[in-house]
Amino acid sequence: MNFTRRSGFRVLLGVVVAAGLASPAIVTLHGQAKPWTMPRTADGKPDLQGIWSNATITPLERPKEYASLVLSAEEAARLEKATADRVERLNQDSDPNRPAPPQGGDGSTGAAGNVGGYNNFWLDPGERVAVVDGQFRSSLIIDPPDGRVPPTTPEARARGQARLKTMAGRGQYDHPEFRPLAERCLLSFGPTTPLVPNYFYNNNLQIVQTPDHVMILMEMVHDARIVRIGGTHLPKHIRPWMGDSIGHWEGDTLVVETTNFPLQQPFRGAAENLKVTERFRRVDATTINYRFTVEDPTTFTRPFTGEIPFRATDELIYEYACHEGNYAMSNVLSGARNEEKRLGTKK
Amino acid sequence: MKTRTTFSVLLLGVGLLLAGRSVIAHHAFGAEFDPNAPIRLQGKVVRLEWVNPHTWIHIETIKDGKPEIWMIEGGTPNTLLRRGVTRETVKVGTEIIVDGYQTKDHSLKRANGRDVTFTDGRKLFMGSSGTGAPKDGRDPTEGTKKPGGR
Repeated sequence: MNFTRRSGFRVLLGVVVAAGLASPAIVTLHGQAKPWTMPRTADGKPDLQGIWSNATITPLERPKEYASLVLSAEEAARLEKATADRVERLNQDSDPNRPAPPQGGDGSTGAAGNVGGYNNFWLDPGERVAVVDGQFRSSLIIDPPDGRVPPTTPEARARGQARLKTMAGRGQYDHPEFRPLAERCLLSFGPTTPLVPNYFYNNNLQIVQTPDHVMILMEMVHDARIVRIGGTHLPKHIRPWMGDSIGHWEGDTLVVETTNFPLQQPFRGAAENLKVTERFRRVDATTINYRFTVEDPTTFTRPFTGEIPFRATDELIYEYACHEGNYAMSNVLSGARNEEKRLGTKK
Repeated sequence: MKTRTTFSVLLLGVGLLLAGRSVIAHHAFGAEFDPNAPIRLQGKVVRLEWVNPHTWIHIETIKDGKPEIWMIEGGTPNTLLRRGVTRETVKVGTEIIVDGYQTKDHSLKRANGRDVTFTDGRKLFMGSSGTGAPKDGRDPTEGTKKPGGR
């Protein structure tokens, strides 16, 4: 943070605003609170337009050691400090005389895949604990009360097994279309609906409204979801990449229902019968409270609901033109061919 | 001792809050790079592909007296653009050190930039908290910020 740019007045103003975090008021030059009023579009609907960020360090599911949805201010401050400290630590200079990393891999897990990924400075996963209705949150999921995605049904597990059988004898590197949609630059590696952050980078979205449509442009992967206001869903066999979204207004809340998800882009194993209901409610000059409910009785033993604050940002969304620079795709496929040759397993 | 215990618990909490996060991209790096082909490269930047889904830094190294061009995979440039870092920030001709792993296709001279630094060990681009990252309204300077992009 660049403290030198701040005047004393702005710091004072900020303290006053921060103190009134939960109350939707802005402070005038004369220090008097002026009630915030909902900005509206020409047709009288709440104006949700602009660029918003859903980045946060609060995870989708509650870590087991937190008993409650709500964290104390001290707990939240500690978590945020630990996040900032980690960034500082990873920014430290390296030894210029360092050798090559270890033969056999560096032990990194997850998608860093034992080769260490790349430097932390490319990442921007958020720095703050999510605040909703003035509460610091330990998980985005608010229901069920344990803050976790409910268990899957036996039917869903059987479906997973059947899918594995279908793929038997076919390697995951045998065809470009066997690769994940994100790797093929078709969709983001994070979910597009609901708008859960990916915890890596580019967690920004832009909303544009007309009386009969709402567009939600996600920076990852430069995908625009077009929500029709009113009407009915497409026939079941038509499954756009981001599903089929229709919306309506309940008072000042925009409610969007999405079904017809493509089978190639499941959310937690749900796609064919997945229904996501989103509620966008603007609560102050800089915040949309976003609430989502995920339902699929063929996948989850019960529905679940989460809340995410969307914070206004005056940063730009940059184009994420993925296909043009996707060397990784050909590297992955040619790497698999090279391994086959080396191991003598070429089919 | 009490302080120490509290601190350990806190670290555990952080670890779990961050669980599931590892440094990746739009694809799994384990599928692209060979853990049995570690490399350390030192050379001059000849080209920067400031593109998505991943930045590629081209460097010229010298092997057995002969020049070689290597391509180094980084992350999305979008996050750095928001911090004011552009393709011009690192000039062609700048000497850098890279450690990482070569692609599984060894005929390609490509590697992941596991750690990319200047020759004195400084990170090539500094990430920092609170500079240009998405805002949540608790930064005092953001008190009256309106959503951009109109």
